[in-house]
Amino acid sequence: MNDRNARAIVTVPEIAVINEIKDEIEDVRTFYFSFANKEAGRDFRIRSGQFVMCTVFGAGEFAVSLPFSPENDRLHLSVRQVGKVTRALHELGLGDKIGIRGPFGNGFPFEEIKGRNVVYAAGGIGIIPLRSSIVHVLQHRKDFGRIILLYGARSSKDLMFRYMIDEWKKIPGFETYIGIDRAELGWTGEVGFVHTLIAKARVPVKDTTAFVCGPPVMFNSVIKELQANGLKDDAIISTLERHMKCGIGKCQHCAIGRTLVCTDGPVYTYRQIKTLGEQI
Amino acid sequence: MYILPRKMTRRMIAALAEDHELYGPVLKDASGEPLFDKAADPADIRLDAAIPYNPPKGAVFPQTERIMSYTYSRESKQAFIERDDLVRPKALVGLRSCDLNGLLCLDRFFLGQEYVDEVYRDHRKKMFIVANTCVRPFPQCFCVCTDSGPTATEGFDVNLTADGEEYLFEAGSEKGEALAKRLGLKEAGPDAAGRKARVVEASIAHFDAEATENKAWISRVVNRITTGFIGNEVWKYIGDQCFECGACAFVCPTCSCFNIEDVVVGGGGAGGTRTDRLRSWDSCSFEGYTRMAGDHNPRKPVEDRRNKRFFCKLSYSQSKKYLRPGCVGCGRCARVCPGDIGLPNVVTYIRREITKAGAR
Repeated sequence: MNDRNARAIVTVPEIAVINEIKDEIEDVRTFYFSFANKEAGRDFRIRSGQFVMCTVFGAGEFAVSLPFSPENDRLHLSVRQVGKVTRALHELGLGDKIGIRGPFGNGFPFEEIKGRNVVYAAGGIGIIPLRSSIVHVLQHRKDFGRIILLYGARSSKDLMFRYMIDEWKKIPGFETYIGIDRAELGWTGEVGFVHTLIAKARVPVKDTTAFVCGPPVMFNSVIKELQANGLKDDAIISTLERHMKCGIGKCQHCAIGRTLVCTDGPVYTYRQIKTLGEQI
Repeated sequence: MYILPRKMTRRMIAALAEDHELYGPVLKDASGEPLFDKAADPADIRLDAAIPYNPPKGAVFPQTERIMSYTYSRESKQAFIERDDLVRPKALVGLRSCDLNGLLCLDRFFLGQEYVDEVYRDHRKKMFIVANTCVRPFPQCFCVCTDSGPTATEGFDVNLTADGEEYLFEAGSEKGEALAKRLGLKEAGPDAAGRKARVVEASIAHFDAEATENKAWISRVVNRITTGFIGNEVWKYIGDQCFECGACAFVCPTCSCFNIEDVVVGGGGAGGTRTDRLRSWDSCSFEGYTRMAGDHNPRKPVEDRRNKRFFCKLSYSQSKKYLRPGCVGCGRCARVCPGDIGLPNVVTYIRREITKAGAR
C-alpha cells in the first residue's frame, strides 16, 4: 500500500466542466476542464505520467494520459478522436460535463532524475503524455542538466503544441530539434525520422535519462539509436497504452505478462519493457 | 464441533433465510441439473446435490450488473450520477471446499491488492458462509492436487461434514457459534475429529490415483510457467484446440476479468438521457479483449491469448495475488471445454513436454 492512491477517485467519477476547447492538429483537441465540486478539485493531485479514466456521458469511458504538470498548470486533456467514446468527446462544447476517475498509475520519475540530463523523444501525439514531464522539469530548470526535446511527425501539420514549444524555447538551456518525415515548401526545421535527431542534438550519455513516446516504428528506431549511443536500458523510460476498463488493477484488460499497465505502469524503463514478452 | 441432525438442515437454512438472501446448490426444474443459484425457498437448497455446474462467484460478482447509472442532458448540461447500493446480506449455503477457496482467491484479488474494488466489497459485506465437505468428487476433480479440498480449512462461518444421519457442524466464526446456539445444537463427542478425518479420507479415496499419489503434479508446471520454460509449440498445440468460447472463464471459480460498458436505457426527457454503467464477465480468450480504439491489437494469435489464462492460473506472480495457485481443482473447465484444454490437460501437456525435453 502507498499513499499515491489515497485520494484517487476510484469508482464514481467526479463531474467536471469543459471551459475551453482548443483545436491542436487534425482530429486532436485539447479540453480544459475544472471540477464541479471545488473540494474534489483541491484533492486532485497528480504526478506526471499518470492517467485518468474519462467518462463521456452517454457514450462510455476511456483511459487517457495527463498532459498537464502537477504544479501550476491548468487541468486539461488532449485527445485524438479515434473510437466511439473519443468521437463523442469531440462533439462536446463549452459548459458540457465530463466525468473523471483517477489519477491512476505510477507516473514518471521526477526526484530520481534530478541533476541529470533529460532527453525527450516524441513522435506525433506521443508528445501529449511527455508534456507533463517537460513542463514539470522546466518549472524546476535549475535542478536538471541539459534538457533536450527531439520531436518528429509525418508532416508539419501533424506537429502538436508548436505554440507551446516556442514558449519553452525562451527558457535558457532548453534545446529543441523538430523534424518532419519529408521536406516541405517553407519548412526550415529538420527533415528525417526522430532517431536521426539524436546525432544532430549530440545527445549526452553520461548522467542522462531519455523519455520516449510515439508509434511503435518510431519507438523501436529511437531505442535502437539511443542504445547505440551507449544509453543503458534502465535510463530509457517510456509509457505504454492498453485497452483499459477499470484503472485499478481489477478488470485485467491491460495485462502484459505479469504486469498490469494500469497499476504497475503505465511508465516502464526499457529494461522492464524488454521482459514483458509482448508487442508494445 | 456440534452435531446437526440431517432432519434439522432445513431449519438451519430457514434460520439463515430470515435475514439473508439465500444462495446454494439448487436443481434446475426440467433437467434436474445442479446449479449454484439464488433460492427462493430454503427447501430448494440441496446439500446432497452433485457439484453445481457453475461456481458461486455470481453471488459476489454477477455475470452482468449495473454498478451505477447517470443522466445527462446536453440542453441543461446537467449530470447526475447515482451509485447503486449493492450491500445485501447473503447466505451462501453448501459451498464445496474448491468453491470456497475460489471465493477466497477473489477476496484476495479484489480486496487485498493496491486498490479495493468497491463493487465487490459491497457484495461481499454481511455474508454468511456454510461450507460442505465434498464426499462425492467427480472424475475430473483434482482439488487434492491444488490444496483446496475436499474439506475447507478457512473462510467459513460453518463447515458441515456429512457422516451417516448427522452433519458434523464446525463453527469457524462467532456468527457460526451463534447459529449453533440459536439452533440448540448438541456438542459433538470427543470422537468428532476422528469421524471427520475418516469421511475426508473416504472422499480422497474417490480421486484418481494420479491426483492423489503425486502432489508435485501441478507444482512442477507452476515452476515451468513462472520461469517461461515452455516451448512455443506447446502453446500452439493448446491454442489450436481453443474455440474462443470463453466457457472456461465463465465456469472458473477464480476467473474475474470483466468488461465495463455504458448502455443508454432512457430517452432524452427533462432530466436528460439515462445511461446504465454495466459490468460483465469477460474472457482473455476473446479476440477483442485487448483491442484498442483505432484497432491496434497487441495480442493477436489465439495461442498468445491462451497462454495468458494458464499463466494467470499457474504462475508464481499471480499466486502472490491469490496467496495460492489460481486453480482450485474444481475441474469445471475440463467439463465444458469443447476442445481438450481444460486445465488438467494443459498441465498434462506441459508435463509431457518436460519429460520429452529431459529425454532429448
